Amino acid sequence: MGGTPQSQPARIEPTGDEAKAALADIRRRQGQVIRAVLVPGWYWWVMAAGMVAIGAARDTGDPVVQIITIPLAALVMVVLTGAMIPAVRRRIQLHSATRPGARGAAAIFGLILLVDGAILGTAINVRPAGFPHPATIGTAAGAVVIVIAGPLVNGYLSRLMLARARQQRDDAPPAGAGA
Amino acid sequence: MTTAGFDELIHAPTRLEIVSLLAAAQWADFKYIRDELGLSDSALSKQLSTLESAGYVEIRKQFVGKRPRTSASLSTAGRHAFEQHVAALQRILSRSQQDPGVGPAAEADRRTPVR
Repeated sequence: MGGTPQSQPARIEPTGDEAKAALADIRRRQGQVIRAVLVPGWYWWVMAAGMVAIGAARDTGDPVVQIITIPLAALVMVVLTGAMIPAVRRRIQLHSATRPGARGAAAIFGLILLVDGAILGTAINVRPAGFPHPATIGTAAGAVVIVIAGPLVNGYLSRLMLARARQQRDDAPPAGAGA
Repeated sequence: MTTAGFDELIHAPTRLEIVSLLAAAQWADFKYIRDELGLSDSALSKQLSTLESAGYVEIRKQFVGKRPRTSASLSTAGRHAFEQHVAALQRILSRSQQDPGVGPAAEADRRTPVR
């Protein structure tokens, strides 16, 4: 630094503890933004209930129950999923450098495959074994998977986005002298 | 000597919270920022105006239907200043952990007349 300290105006610099607290506050606030764009915990339970309702309706064999329940449950699941995205986008849009990217998309796709696999795998295997209500059992297995794996995927996406936010901060070029 | 990149304007507690929030976002709705930080409309407006005057924040006002909507985003200069500020805080923390009694941080502490 070229200038003499005496000629410069007095500036306040935090102590190590204050810097630590400020950095923790920055991480907390950025975590708030990331949590705001993730689906809430109850979303997975609504999806699970919708799936079981569809499976149970299928097993009744009653056309009236099926005509009412299956489209209604599917509608609730689709509308809920579709409504959450614009609701979040009205409030905040995540910075491109913080978005989860291909790894996040792979995690979501993996969750869909896992749930579908649990439903189909269970239903196909219980039917020949003579279990009653194979569709209900199959969708219940899918519901268990989504209730457990959904929040895990949420946590993974959250960690991924926080890591990207941290990387974005760490990649900042060094400040020029006298800044 | 002060730490390069340390920004007193950003470091004020409420402004640091606002800028931290905006740093993770492309933009954020005024009401979202207000609610997340528990600020009043006037307090948030005042802080955003200060940041806007410094060229750190861009305020966008638009109508969605008949409703006015205000949103804020970090400008390129604001994002750069924030990143530098975080780097400065990390350096201060790192120095204090390495040697809390001596070195540039302690020297800066001694030269800092106001705590």
